[in-house]
Amino acid sequence: MRSTRWLAGMTAAALALGVAACGDSDNSSTSSAGSSGASKVSGSITGAGSTLAAPIYQQWGSNLKGQGITLNFQPVGSGAGVTAWEQGTADFAGSDPALGDDELAAASKKGGDPVHIPTVFGGITVSYNVSGVKEGLKLDGKTAADIYLGKVKKWNDPEIAGQNPGTSLPDKNITVVHRSDSSGTTKGFTQFLADYSPEWKSGPGVDKTIKWPTGTGAKGNNGVAAAVKQSDGAIGYVEQAYALENNFTFAAVKNKDGKYVLPTLESTSAAGDSLELPDDLRFTAINAPGANTYPIVSQTFIIVHTDLCAGGMSDQKANVFKAFIDYGLSSDGQNAAKELSYAPLPTQLLDKAKAQVAKLKCNGSALAGA
Amino acid sequence: MSVTTLAPISARRRRIDAIMRGSLAVATILALIPLVLVLYYVIKKGIGAWSVDFFTTDPTGNFLGDPGGIKSAILGTLEIVALASLISIPIGIGVALYLVEYGKQSWLANAIRYFVDVMTGVPSIVFGLFVYVTLVIGSGYAAWKGSVALALLMLPIVARSSEVVLNLVPDSLREAALALGTPRWRVVMRVVLPTAATGLVTGALLAIARGAGETAPLLFTASLINATNFDLGKATNSLPLQIFSDVQQAQDRLQQRAWGAALTLVVLILVLTLVARLVARRRTV
Amino acid sequence: MEAGTLTPRGDRSILQRSPRERAADPLFRALLLGLGLAVLVIIVYFFIKLISESTDAFSKFGFLGFTFGADWDVSRAQFGAWPLLFGTIVTSAIALIIGVPIAVATALFVTELCPRRFRTPLTILVDLLAAVPSVVYGLWGFLFLAPKLRGLQQFLADTFSFLPFVGGPVAGPSYFIAGLILAIMILPIVSAISREVVQRVPVENKEAALALGATRWEMIRMAILPYSRAGITGASMLGLGRALGETIAVTLVIGNSATIGKQLFDQGYTLAAVIANEFGEAANNPLHSSALFAAGLVLFVLTLVVNAAARAVVQRSERLGKPAKPADPVVAEASAAVGV
Repeated sequence: MRSTRWLAGMTAAALALGVAACGDSDNSSTSSAGSSGASKVSGSITGAGSTLAAPIYQQWGSNLKGQGITLNFQPVGSGAGVTAWEQGTADFAGSDPALGDDELAAASKKGGDPVHIPTVFGGITVSYNVSGVKEGLKLDGKTAADIYLGKVKKWNDPEIAGQNPGTSLPDKNITVVHRSDSSGTTKGFTQFLADYSPEWKSGPGVDKTIKWPTGTGAKGNNGVAAAVKQSDGAIGYVEQAYALENNFTFAAVKNKDGKYVLPTLESTSAAGDSLELPDDLRFTAINAPGANTYPIVSQTFIIVHTDLCAGGMSDQKANVFKAFIDYGLSSDGQNAAKELSYAPLPTQLLDKAKAQVAKLKCNGSALAGA
Repeated sequence: MSVTTLAPISARRRRIDAIMRGSLAVATILALIPLVLVLYYVIKKGIGAWSVDFFTTDPTGNFLGDPGGIKSAILGTLEIVALASLISIPIGIGVALYLVEYGKQSWLANAIRYFVDVMTGVPSIVFGLFVYVTLVIGSGYAAWKGSVALALLMLPIVARSSEVVLNLVPDSLREAALALGTPRWRVVMRVVLPTAATGLVTGALLAIARGAGETAPLLFTASLINATNFDLGKATNSLPLQIFSDVQQAQDRLQQRAWGAALTLVVLILVLTLVARLVARRRTV
Repeated sequence: MEAGTLTPRGDRSILQRSPRERAADPLFRALLLGLGLAVLVIIVYFFIKLISESTDAFSKFGFLGFTFGADWDVSRAQFGAWPLLFGTIVTSAIALIIGVPIAVATALFVTELCPRRFRTPLTILVDLLAAVPSVVYGLWGFLFLAPKLRGLQQFLADTFSFLPFVGGPVAGPSYFIAGLILAIMILPIVSAISREVVQRVPVENKEAALALGATRWEMIRMAILPYSRAGITGASMLGLGRALGETIAVTLVIGNSATIGKQLFDQGYTLAAVIANEFGEAANNPLHSSALFAAGLVLFVLTLVVNAAARAVVQRSERLGKPAKPADPVVAEASAAVGV
């Protein structure tokens, strides 16, 4: 009896301690970093969305830590990111595709027009894990579509072998891996497939989330990468940073000009060179022309309301956001992107992106750092 | 049965007996294999991830380089589960007291009993949905909302196990105390509860252990963040979500952190469960 | 055991209570009643909310159209939950087929066959399985079991391809792996309750069988199993209820593909897994979000029916003169948990 009393007491004490610990502070988000000077803003900001762009945003966030800025970017997929932003569970959305017209209208109701700020370009690799097959397997859009339609089932299928004379391909089943969440990477990839396969276009179609005819679903670029890594014979589409980080082998994909191109910094950057840009910057870089252009390159945006504060941010958060995006579009930020194999924005586009940032306001007045 | 009475046991029956006994033993070993495998891998891979830094740093969130530790996840789990326990245990025991001491077999008591039973069957993810639509929409994720979701899950466990335990308190004890003129509430507080204390603590600890390991109710309520947070009104990390997120990463160092965090969580829950069992052994009722 | 202080205060007899003390009793009663009512209200509100959030999907597709529609296609706003329901049922069925015999056998072995000194350690070991959180099973299933068993699955698929629902290429994640993980997860609960049930078989029955010359196994078959059949059925159905609602471990190993698999080793989806995966992005899209709530409701109704059936089975067999305890699998579970 004595010992059980003691135990009950301990439990109660532990609970009380837990609660006391919960009550005593609110200093994690707003404290100033001190050393970086009074003129600099500090604080934390939460974003959610694109897993394609998550590595670079997280890198930017960690580069800014010294200034007292804490970025908390949740890689939940472009679709969930836009949802989180509109629901107020995130301060900004990271989305690869621009908002559609109806999404735009829905978001506008809640606090000012949304602004699309392009940040970088990411190459979507077609990565595979097939023992004995080296990097650079040649694939065209039609074949990729047939694989994802479940029509090409073996790695030594004539459709693949025909494009790769001299490569010995194993008689192994293809394990298709795709995204299970609503994803900009999926929209980019399915856009590419639909451009080359009428059957894909009329069948599964193009969207952030579609009904896949075959394969295993995994969450996020990271989830697809993990699934590809798990099984021999797997194929999946993942952003280049993930492919490189995991030492994946990826395909040379046939572009609009009929050339097989591997995703490299040069070939993905090339996609940005000849874009037609609408005023609101809602463009897409998939299947861009050019002989050396890698065809599956996705743009990615940060989306906020023009009036950040009317959209739900505090004055302080608005300034933290401004500092974050300024850094991302600065030469330091764009160079950091290159290190992770993201293509920086071409000058023409970078200027337009900065012009978008200049439009940002807080309750009608310009931001402090501007 | 009568046919076989007293007949000498034939070789065939002996053989069948041996075979069936053997199969039962084999089945028991089969049942233990996954336990051994799970624990073996969690310990083997998890220990490798453990270090002082692992417990004292937050996840960095960096794509490259050091992934950081799980400090925020451990503290977050403690916060969320502590609050969930504070909500569910008193209410659960209170409801059980009502059922046993006052409600008994009245229609109201039976209705409560029925709905509490129904609650035990609700899939945990559905509690997450419910809390999301009632509390999260519009105001964002917060630790306390995760606690509410967990409390909904823990409440029926506490209520049901407490009711079983309270029913075991002999009526003679209650009657003796009442006969001395003690008011009913004092009988409950001074006689019934102390008598049932060990059983109640066991039930509560098991509910805490169950809550601490749940992932699904936290997905859309407490969220997943990197930094340590002591503000119950803000999004807060937790061990199960950190593991769930890290499993779905391709980088070895993140998967390693998942194993390390899993070992931490398993140890935490095993300790709670073992303590619960020790308490149960010392039962006085 | 102290029974509190009951000494009279001052001169007053304990029978003459102060008005404050007299008020305390009804107050205490009201407090507890209030708690009970509050819980009732919350639960009822919970169901109302669940139903009202799903009305959009049900009114658009109809209850049957939603539940048995074969097309779950978010981009085309088509929500038919049959592929998910199918996956939920198939994986749970696999879990039962694998898990229940092993769990019951374990219970029989521990209570009837194994030497007394191994009894407690074995019991604790099996119960430990219940202490492992589902996300850890998911972790282990995803990183260890699924890759390790891929070869075995392919072997089974090739060898037994003459059977229905077996064959085809194996990707790794599948109904089978998900069912296997679920089998492991329901094992401790089914085993614990079966143990309780088997222990309650009167010693006289067992001794009578043995005295009549029955072997151990015959004693189990003739004295124990008929007596505890209802309890074991209840335990299995309670395990089934668990398996139906399991989310995190399943979503990691099922393959998350909203198609109706033709084979045991195909990838699929379950109701719970689709909610976990899609809810984050659905909140903005009223129909999608409503469809996920509807999926939750279907799942919930399914578990409710199973749990109710579990209880009915037990109670019906009781009326036929079978044992009085455990009357109720939920109580049995609680009893097993607190070690009564």
